[in-house]
Amino acid sequence: MDISKAPNPRKLQLCRTYFLTGFAFLPFVWAINVCWFFNEALRKPPFPEQSQIKRYVLYSAIGTLIWLIILINWIIIFQTNRADWGATADYMSFIIPLGSA
Amino acid sequence: MAQQMKTVAVWFILLLQSITYGERTRDKMYQPIVGAACFRRLNGTHQIGCSSTYSGSVGVLHLVNIEADLDFLLTSPPSPPYAPMIPPHLFTHRNLLRLKEAGPDIISVVLLINRNSDKMTQFSHELNCPNQYSGLLKPNISESATCDASNPPNSWNPWGTGLLHQDFPFPIYYIADVNETQTLVNCFEKFNNFDYESHALRSLCAVEVKSFMSAAVNTEVCMRRTNFINNLGSTKYCDPLEGRSVYATLYPRNSPENLTTEVPRSVNTAEKFILVTTRLDTTSMFDGVGLGALDSLMGFATLTQVAHLLRQLLPPQGSLPDPRRNVLFVAFNGESFDYIGSQRFVYDMENLVFPARSTKSTPISFENIEFMLDIGTLDDITNIKLHTLITTPLAQDFLKKLNNYASSPRYGFNLDIQSDVGIQIPPTSAQSFLRRDTQFPALILNAVPANKYYHSIYDDAVNVGFSYANTSRDYISLIDVSESKNYFNATALQMKVANVSSIVAFALYETLTGLQYTGNKVANPLLADEFLYCFLQSADCRLFKASSYPGSPSGLPLPPMRYISVLGGSQESSGWTYRLFGYLLSQPQPSVAKENCTNLPLHWVAGINGTGECRLTTQSYMDALSPAFLIENYDWRSGKYSTWTESTWSQFSARIFLRPSHVHKITTLTIGIVVLVISFCLIYIINSRSDVLFDDVPASNAAFSRPTAC
Repeated sequence: MDISKAPNPRKLQLCRTYFLTGFAFLPFVWAINVCWFFNEALRKPPFPEQSQIKRYVLYSAIGTLIWLIILINWIIIFQTNRADWGATADYMSFIIPLGSA
Repeated sequence: MAQQMKTVAVWFILLLQSITYGERTRDKMYQPIVGAACFRRLNGTHQIGCSSTYSGSVGVLHLVNIEADLDFLLTSPPSPPYAPMIPPHLFTHRNLLRLKEAGPDIISVVLLINRNSDKMTQFSHELNCPNQYSGLLKPNISESATCDASNPPNSWNPWGTGLLHQDFPFPIYYIADVNETQTLVNCFEKFNNFDYESHALRSLCAVEVKSFMSAAVNTEVCMRRTNFINNLGSTKYCDPLEGRSVYATLYPRNSPENLTTEVPRSVNTAEKFILVTTRLDTTSMFDGVGLGALDSLMGFATLTQVAHLLRQLLPPQGSLPDPRRNVLFVAFNGESFDYIGSQRFVYDMENLVFPARSTKSTPISFENIEFMLDIGTLDDITNIKLHTLITTPLAQDFLKKLNNYASSPRYGFNLDIQSDVGIQIPPTSAQSFLRRDTQFPALILNAVPANKYYHSIYDDAVNVGFSYANTSRDYISLIDVSESKNYFNATALQMKVANVSSIVAFALYETLTGLQYTGNKVANPLLADEFLYCFLQSADCRLFKASSYPGSPSGLPLPPMRYISVLGGSQESSGWTYRLFGYLLSQPQPSVAKENCTNLPLHWVAGINGTGECRLTTQSYMDALSPAFLIENYDWRSGKYSTWTESTWSQFSARIFLRPSHVHKITTLTIGIVVLVISFCLIYIINSRSDVLFDDVPASNAAFSRPTAC
């Protein structure tokens, strides 16, 4: 949908829904929320709902960042230790590489 | 007129078709090379063999004539990675390890070519101690007690390099065909073999080998991954080595079993068996190559002929001094890989599941085994020894019987079989039995090792000195001792096999009947001739035809593969062995008509004339899958049973092409990127100046006329 055409209360509602949905272990929803409402929150001329939208966008951005740090750390730890963890790592994997440990 | 036009049109099309020569770019670039690849096997602790990279390993061809050529590649390679083409005499342990050490950045492919093979003096890829980590072990260490690996000249395979048990980081491809080798050499001479300084700057003839292996690490890991099922379904990483052993009894068993499955099976202790065994399989480093002519076919030929001879010489079971005695012949499969067949046999006997319930006979246990005669390798028949762990009256008595016939002037075999008592027993099936119980009465016939090509691709008909006599005479009937010398000279392979078979069969005859054999009939060397021809040259042979159903499709004109392989593999050799036992070890039933001869144990075979005859057979299959794969939560590292598996792969292929130089590749890539950037700039400029270029162009939606009603 074209967000620029939606009325301001609708924008706030959408932004809040996206923010809340992100708590269901869905950091991508937060990331989308940040991208989508970035202009509304920071660049548009002020409107009544803007401060709330700004807050949701900021919280979503923080959430995304935390998730990003956790994921990067986990991926590094997992990839460097996968071979050593043996069976445990295999059971964690969805796709096991061919022809290597 | 229309007819004429049509004809002309058809001719025109045909003409066009003949002059246009459609060839794909791929086919213009690459030329396929036929060969055999080395592949990956895994055991409880290691992986061995070779694998290419996922998309195929590429190396620049380099012909190695002398060792200095290898030094050149390893010390100053001008344009690595290289693919050395190595003749067999340089395919040594030392050289291969140097290549391995150099790593896949310098050596990415190794080709073994069939050139200068006359310079080769030995070629065995097996360890000095075959099956070093199974069989009879030293106390508390998982190492063979029967062979000293630190003393190769005194080991069971003095020429062994152990390359079969090495893990290589590059694919190794064996090119048997001389013409293919010549193609490679020509390409090397034309493009590579000059001006080595400029190698890095020009296109070079290179080979690409694809032999990517899915499994890795060891059997534990690959079996776990194979058994692991996620949402996407399961992937097969490796398969256990699995085949079928073949067994048959001399007399049909008369020990029926109750069919109800609720009652546990019980042994009929009255039955007594003499176990006569040998190895059915062989192995080599390359897929589908390797006949194992000297390493196990000699023993197998001897066992078959002993069985056939005893079948014809012995009176009915009822007239033996002990009518409950029988002989059980077993050809074990998978013995090359830590005694798979015999380990399984021992395991099944212990658990009272041999033979299977479907045979409707009572199980055979160790109580039923009187003694075991194991026929090992017979490299040099003038130097055969009878091995036992300890001196027993049984062994002494049997040796006396053997030598009685071996040295008898009546038959003129002129052989002398020595006794060898002690822990140094050969790596044969008997080790699986002795491991369970060192008191087990096992006698092993084994020659002093003399096979310089043990477990290799060169252990073939040439190595055993076999030449097919192709006499088309009766090879089934026994032959008079004087007549047997008419067809072959005394040193012919066929005579050697027949003579050893006669000696063993006579000794067993004496053991069973209690009487000395005094007849003039001996084993027929023509049977050995036919047998060896089938297994060394072509499965499309008289003996296989005679033992099959009349009119059934004949075998391929290639020797049957005797590597154990995996479930769903060809299992040719066990299939043919089954039929052979069904023919050579069965009793003719002339009174039974063809239509009544359909249910086992009755079996209709073509026979020597191909007309068909009914036979009362005793042979059967037995699974040769290591017990390790049957036991739940088996500890793969325990070393108790064989754990060999074979990795899966998607394809084996090799092809040559001209590999452009590094500079060439970079130039091509750079030009591509430059063109891309220029095209973007161009489009941007054109787009921004579109009004200049296309003046007066209406807007895109102007093409549609406005609705008039508005």
